[in-house]
Amino acid sequence: MASKHTIATRHAQGIRARFASRFLRSLLRLRRSSNRFGGSQSNDEGIGKRIRTDRIKIAAYAAMARAVGPRRTWSRALLFKLRNRARIHGVSRKRCLVSEKKRITRNKVVATSSEPSRADTLRKLVPGGDSMDTCVLLEETAHYIKCLATQVTVMQSIADRLLL
Amino acid sequence: MDPPLINETSFSAANPSSYTLAEIWPFPPPPPPPTRSGLRMDNLADPDGSLEESTLTDQSSGNGIRIRKTRDFSSEKDDSTKIVSTTTSANDLNDSNGKRRKITGSRSVNDDSRAETEASSAANNKSAEQSSKASEPPKQDYIHVRARRGQATDSHSLAERARREKISERMNMLQDLVPGCNKVIGKALVLDEIINYIQSLQCQVELLSMKLEAVNSRMNTSTTIEGLHPKDLGAQPFVATGMIFSPQPTREYVQGSQSEWLHMQVGGSFERAL
Repeated sequence: MASKHTIATRHAQGIRARFASRFLRSLLRLRRSSNRFGGSQSNDEGIGKRIRTDRIKIAAYAAMARAVGPRRTWSRALLFKLRNRARIHGVSRKRCLVSEKKRITRNKVVATSSEPSRADTLRKLVPGGDSMDTCVLLEETAHYIKCLATQVTVMQSIADRLLL
Repeated sequence: MDPPLINETSFSAANPSSYTLAEIWPFPPPPPPPTRSGLRMDNLADPDGSLEESTLTDQSSGNGIRIRKTRDFSSEKDDSTKIVSTTTSANDLNDSNGKRRKITGSRSVNDDSRAETEASSAANNKSAEQSSKASEPPKQDYIHVRARRGQATDSHSLAERARREKISERMNMLQDLVPGCNKVIGKALVLDEIINYIQSLQCQVELLSMKLEAVNSRMNTSTTIEGLHPKDLGAQPFVATGMIFSPQPTREYVQGSQSEWLHMQVGGSFERAL
């Protein structure tokens, strides 16, 4: 039991360190790129801020998913989504919407039969949860919560350090 | 919903054995030639016509009596030889076929306990085919629960029970993970709590990315610090993972407005860092 716990914590620490280094690298990259294009994009401050915030958020999620690796379903789904988003990005947005609509209707059909929408909500929150069994969904949710908490603490401390 | 279907399948799974007992035994003459010879000897020893006549008269008089007779024979199970004799004596094979079907049906209806045991043995055999050793403890559990419920006698309900146990186990794990979730009773409320926690964590990520954006853009204006930072950043994760990233999940995720929370967090972390 104790050995398992230490292994788990070491594992979490490994994920934490990997996430921190990846996220810092991507932050640096973002800073450089915004430095390069900062003068041209600063005509509208609100939109630029919003875009930069979104980029940082996406970078954080991507760093987390890469730190976890392709072992977990949610990280795989997240990476796939981010990659597709980077690839598509407004070119075939219509098709995405249609598929989302289909997925939503299918989920509703499934949800009316058994569970009243709580597992469904969870499914929407956890990336890649659409195609999961309830057991798998709960397991992935546990891991996802752990990783999100790690992500939040790391980002918090990075922000504190940068503010100092 | 499930149990009747399951019972049907179990009966159909259980029936072949009874068919093998009842139908295959009497029909092909080759398996019991010595018994037939013995029977013939018996028939020869006994007054031959009287036995056949009695059975024939039974047939002609009423089918019910004869069915009861044969049922008794089949329940006694040692008198398969007599059944064979009746088949040999009975002229109409079709009639005997129908009766035997009736007999098997009555047997399956009458001996419910036997059929259940056969079904359980069949289910156990099925599970044993899938996983030989893992089926032992569920079998015990299943027998215990069957005594209480009466209907849940199948591999389907077994699997369902295992699935439920798994789900509850994972719910317990999640309860341990989510802070303040141990006092909540009930799966729905626990799920609500988990959903709230995930949403709050995602909100925190959003807020922190906003904060980091502000910090990053402020760094952009002063490009002289830019050169200093990579070292700092490179050194940071290893220091930080040891010191600051102590595993304390941020507890203040529910209460207060989020800007207030941000200030609180910043103040607390400043105190921690200093």
